[in-house]
Amino acid sequence: MRRHLLTIISLAILLPAFAVLFVSGVSLMQHERAMKAVARSYVQEMADNVASRLVDVESRRWGRDYPSIEVRNFRIFTWGPSVPGWVAVINSQGRILFSSPGVDKLAEIWQSGIPLGRAVEIKDKQGSLYTVAVYPVSGGERLVVAAVAWENLLGPLARIGRVWAILVAFMAISILIALLALWKWFLMPIRGLVGEIDTLHWGKDLPRPSDPRAALEIGSLREVLYKLARTAVERTSLQNRYVSDIVRAQEGEKSRIARELHDGTIQNVTAMIQQVRLSRMDTADRVKHLALAEETAHVVVRDLREMCDDLSPPWIDLGLSQAMTELADRLARHYSITITMDVDDNLDLTNDEILAFFRIFQEGVSNAVRHGKATAIHGEIVLKEDRSVVFEFRDNGAGFDPHLDYESLRVAGHRGLANMLERMMLAGGRLEIFSKLGEGTSVRCTLPPKDAESA
Amino acid sequence: MPIRVVLADDHPLTRAGISAYLAQESSVELVGEAVDGESAWKLIEEKKPDVALLDIRMPGEDGVSVARRVKESSLPVAVIMLTSYDAQQYVLASLRAGARGFILKTATPEEISRAIGTVARGGFYLDSEVASSVGDKEYAPEALSAREREVLILASKGFSSKEVAKQLFISERTVQTHLASIYDKLGSKNKTEALLLALKYGVVTLEELIE
Repeated sequence: MRRHLLTIISLAILLPAFAVLFVSGVSLMQHERAMKAVARSYVQEMADNVASRLVDVESRRWGRDYPSIEVRNFRIFTWGPSVPGWVAVINSQGRILFSSPGVDKLAEIWQSGIPLGRAVEIKDKQGSLYTVAVYPVSGGERLVVAAVAWENLLGPLARIGRVWAILVAFMAISILIALLALWKWFLMPIRGLVGEIDTLHWGKDLPRPSDPRAALEIGSLREVLYKLARTAVERTSLQNRYVSDIVRAQEGEKSRIARELHDGTIQNVTAMIQQVRLSRMDTADRVKHLALAEETAHVVVRDLREMCDDLSPPWIDLGLSQAMTELADRLARHYSITITMDVDDNLDLTNDEILAFFRIFQEGVSNAVRHGKATAIHGEIVLKEDRSVVFEFRDNGAGFDPHLDYESLRVAGHRGLANMLERMMLAGGRLEIFSKLGEGTSVRCTLPPKDAESA
Repeated sequence: MPIRVVLADDHPLTRAGISAYLAQESSVELVGEAVDGESAWKLIEEKKPDVALLDIRMPGEDGVSVARRVKESSLPVAVIMLTSYDAQQYVLASLRAGARGFILKTATPEEISRAIGTVARGGFYLDSEVASSVGDKEYAPEALSAREREVLILASKGFSSKEVAKQLFISERTVQTHLASIYDKLGSKNKTEALLLALKYGVVTLEELIE
């Protein structure tokens, strides 16, 4: 039932409408025919009546002309017929001999070719309908003409009949137009939309944004679906970008490690092997070669330690305070700048959160030194009254325009800020950056209170 | 008269190590050292040594392209590639670039001087560690047919099976059959290994490959 709702609605409109149309049409025709019959029998009777009385008068007189007095005294000529209409007696030249009141109309509607002895319908110049009957008397020398105007005889009935016909036609046309519109602006657009969405590759293709033939509601539906599809496309491309970013970052990191191993560690160990061999061969400089080998071994260990620190420093397990202080010291040494770090002792952060702060600080310090030419950085991690944890660090560098679009920075290959934001998001917190050209940069990371998070 | 040698390596310690090795060797005279490809080429042009020891990985121009310049210049300089990696493709790339020797930086002083001596005499030297990683030392390969040798040499020059087939007026399928037979006879798994084995066993000479 619900599946075929629209067909059912169409039929529910169409079937009764056509039934009404059919019945109305038939009854209109019957009504017309009945009115015609009434009018005909009436004028025939009137004409016949007058004609028979004229014959009666004629049989009593032998003159060629009717005694006007007598004929004129026919009640019908004096008072007119009992129902609206007129009767006249005319001679063969068309002159009116006797007539009932209101016969002036007769001349207007008279036309040649009206058959004798029966009633017919004729129209005057204004289109009003009359029923006329013409009966010959005195061997055809005189004619009795009887007529009724439909207007007068049937009046409102005839008018309603006409209005009714117009109404029915109007109804038929509007039903057809409504159905056509339903089909063209509703059903077809819906079908098109369903077909389009059905075969759509979500995340790849877009449907047409608008359909000029569709009704407003379908148009809105299409618009909503279009937005949905566009969101899917954007999400897919964003995802692809992120995936390719991650892959690129991973590959970059791997090749950086490989390069460091090859150009540093392998070369140094090779050199050590050479020096040990030389010490065996060359008795004079044995001590010198061994000392060089030992020195190189120290360089290798230092290099490997630095690489370990870069990859994942083991001392991060010491806890937030120690880890961040150690990091600050190392970064300060590495970049030859001043870094101070205050950490609240009462903090209890998970390893993931510590790692997030750790990486953000690494990245932030690197940015401050490379882009901002900062020489001093101060960081502090505090527990706020609402039990949220705030890590904030400020530098004395050149600052930047923080209104730079973060997405366009990312696309342009500056992953630093994006990485910091993502790190913080992954840890469930948020990151804000305050900066002004010439006034340094401040980065604030906020971790929400633990209880609120678990609630 | 000692063999005149130049050495190019960007890493100071390994350069120092190898030059110390060479200093022990009376038959070899180190006439110059370079720290990158560009200065290595200048040094070779200037000193016209008998042998050039070139690190493959150097900043700027790498050792392989310096070897190619030497080959194109027709200077009578035998190039030995020095590397930390024993990748067979490095060997192949070096040979195509005209190098006559390939040794690892961890090679013993004896091996380095042996390599220098071999290439200075016009021979071909492949590092013993690299050589032992391909094939069995005691293996006596079945002799390649003349056609098989042709196929191997063309394939080693970097031609595809299709191009080899075109040059020898045989079908590509026949080329592949020959290659399979070559691999089988030499006991190799691929083209590069087959080439190295063929060189090692003396089935083909370096001249045939380079020409």
